[in-house]
Amino acid sequence: MAILVGLVLAVVGFVAGTGILGGIRTSMGLEYWSTDMSWSVGYPVALIGWLIGVGGWKYWAVEWFGGKAATPPKGVKRYFEWNMDHKVIGIQYGVTFVVLFLLSGLTAMLIRFELMNSGMQLFTEDQYNSAMSFHGIGMVAVAVAIMLGAFGNYIVPLQIGARDMAFPRVNALSYWLVPPVAIMLIIALLIGGWDTGWTAYPPLSVLTKSGQVLFNLAVITFGLVSILGGINFIATIIYERAPGMTWGRLPIFVWGAFAGSLIAFFFTQGFAAGLLMILLDRVVGTSFFHAAEGGSPILYEHVFWFYSHPAVYVMVLPAFGAVLEVLAHMSRKPLYAYRWVVGALLGIVAISGVVWAHHMFTSGMEDYLHAPFLVLTEMISIPTGIIFLSAIGTIWAGRLWMRTPMLFALAFIFNFTVGGLTGIYLADVPTDIHLHDTYFVVAHFHYTIMGGEIFALFAALYYWFPKMTGRQFNETLGKIHFWIMFIGFQLVFIPMFQVGVKGMNRRVADYPEAYEDFNRFISWSGFLLGISFIFFAANMVLSWVRGERAVANPWGASTLEWQVSSPPPEHNFEGQPVIQGGAYEYGVPNAPAHARMGTAAATENV
Amino acid sequence: MNRHLWIAGILWVVFTALALAGAALMNPFPTVGAEEAEFSDHAFRLMTYMGAPVFGFVMAALLYSVLRFRSGGPGEDGPPIRGVGAVPRVWLLTTTTLAVVVMIYPGLTGLAELRSDRTHDLEVDVTGFRWAWVVQYPEGFASQELVLPVDQRVKFNVTAPAGDVLHSFWVPAFRLKIDAVPGQITNLYITPNELGDGATDAAYRVQCAELCGLYHARMQMPVRVVTAEEYQAWVAEKAGK
Repeated sequence: MAILVGLVLAVVGFVAGTGILGGIRTSMGLEYWSTDMSWSVGYPVALIGWLIGVGGWKYWAVEWFGGKAATPPKGVKRYFEWNMDHKVIGIQYGVTFVVLFLLSGLTAMLIRFELMNSGMQLFTEDQYNSAMSFHGIGMVAVAVAIMLGAFGNYIVPLQIGARDMAFPRVNALSYWLVPPVAIMLIIALLIGGWDTGWTAYPPLSVLTKSGQVLFNLAVITFGLVSILGGINFIATIIYERAPGMTWGRLPIFVWGAFAGSLIAFFFTQGFAAGLLMILLDRVVGTSFFHAAEGGSPILYEHVFWFYSHPAVYVMVLPAFGAVLEVLAHMSRKPLYAYRWVVGALLGIVAISGVVWAHHMFTSGMEDYLHAPFLVLTEMISIPTGIIFLSAIGTIWAGRLWMRTPMLFALAFIFNFTVGGLTGIYLADVPTDIHLHDTYFVVAHFHYTIMGGEIFALFAALYYWFPKMTGRQFNETLGKIHFWIMFIGFQLVFIPMFQVGVKGMNRRVADYPEAYEDFNRFISWSGFLLGISFIFFAANMVLSWVRGERAVANPWGASTLEWQVSSPPPEHNFEGQPVIQGGAYEYGVPNAPAHARMGTAAATENV
Repeated sequence: MNRHLWIAGILWVVFTALALAGAALMNPFPTVGAEEAEFSDHAFRLMTYMGAPVFGFVMAALLYSVLRFRSGGPGEDGPPIRGVGAVPRVWLLTTTTLAVVVMIYPGLTGLAELRSDRTHDLEVDVTGFRWAWVVQYPEGFASQELVLPVDQRVKFNVTAPAGDVLHSFWVPAFRLKIDAVPGQITNLYITPNELGDGATDAAYRVQCAELCGLYHARMQMPVRVVTAEEYQAWVAEKAGK
């Protein structure tokens, strides 16, 4: 209902915004409608209408004008409107981005269908470019936001013993900015798409179709989501920790979320600024990127990658945290080299900001920039190596409980090894100059982002599913999902390395016949990979609706979120929990329990 | 505990040997058509050899753990090994050494070699525009086929018209690419050392390697590397027109 009101107000806002603009334009003797300009003006107004409609007014903004905010409803209804409970928001994020993940995955299936044979099958070149671009930005959005959005929101406050996030209203705001991003990207497809991938390099993005404007507006909004989320996590983790939750006792997932949030907070504005400059070039006629008027296309690449390389660590640092979390609890051992891992996470935050130009070794930037960026990029393998040390040290001699989340966490180690090692070829200038922009790169980043983060995502999803839904998932379906996904994944992306080295470049609607055999194999493997998600979706829906009731602590884990009921009570804890030891004291003789759970009555005395 | 380490250590050696053998036997490369291609493939192989023991280590530890250290539930805890002391330090030292080695060789040394030789026997201008390539030869004619004499060092001046978009000049057989930036000239030096013909070998094509819109995939131009005599004859024919 609130969503419907939001949509209506968005349309009203859009009509009002474009109407005023149209009026001004008409009075100046211009045409009423200019696609680029009308969307740029209509969208922000529509966005405000949407936010008011979904509950931003009723539950928040009304207070600014002396009114009284409404009390949010209970039950299923609260998931469909503005709500400030971090647990509701976590589930909203999770469901939204899983849907977007499946949608973008479906485009990947269409892409693989098109690439099955040389020549054009399903799409025209134009449609292919749009599908490829949508797959790209859709998956990047999922990868950036789902770990922090779903599990960061739901789990971090529970793990640190907080009642909620530091800024619940900002949290609700950041979630409700997400649907407009998805809607705008879909509208962009409907009005003819865009053909600049997710990177939006000018001058093409300045010259191409108007779908680009919708892309830019959507992604700038998404940047705002990311920054607001980042600030919220940083503040929550610094200020909302329970008594006794020292930095040295924080569960590693919280550290991962903290490190990822720092990057989101520091760097996202780079991307937003770059996209805004493109928008200004298109709508206002500035010339940031028009070579003919003194602009520089390479400028954008610097600004863009200054964010977008750190962005991969926004994706992957919370994933590191989640994987190590699962490995420690399901191996029944202390997390190996905990302090080193914390150092490594922060080290990656530091180095991530100074490696961006390794995406630009063939861009024509100054030659003297190649050496420092080569060196700095290779350096990031050192902290990443410590994550591996911790993962291997944790499972070594442990008591590995091979349930679905554990399988995904172990597969992460395998995939990220392949992804990490193949990254060296791309950091090294002599090989990168050949491999840049080929399917080798496509395979590499799918190994790190999909094989790394998305496998970690499923580890986290299965691990915390009982906590978040109060239901146990179906183990058999989970294992089928894992094995098909794991095998399908290898069969898709290993041959991509090969076909890339052979000379097939990425983002192409068609390719020379020489690469046809590879592509046919990759496509069939791709469909296999696609099938795995049917088992996943079935498992999620069936288990959530009629799965067995989950107990409070099905994994016997030590951290705080498992010491409360599944799902947790409204304000997370009956009383104030007090932390009295490390988070992973498995097998440590005489170790105190991680937390002493407070009772409502005892809270007074803390 | 020691027995576990021994077996995993042997597995490490075995996996590393297998990975090295695989790397030695593999030939993932397209046709080698230039000195620069030999250079790039050499670096590629070298990094594969260096990566083999790392890959072998992770696989041995992972596989052995998965097979040997299983349990059926959260009943029993593992040994409380915390990972403090020598192991992380040795690990840090080892990974840092590896990273520094790869940085220097084949990284920085390769980069230096790539940039060292700025001499050339022939200079051609390449322009990329949506969605085709054109080569301007010093004899004053333009061609939509890239024909080069074998064993001559060629300097490419690559650009795109000021009102156009980014493209990237790439010939897989030569292993080098450079973006064509509107309003700017970028350079590439290549010494083709094998005869080759784009009509029969997909590696001999100029392929645009920077997304440039509608017909990006079709933005290709055939490449032919010919003998000095054939090249002279071809130039004479083209310039004569």
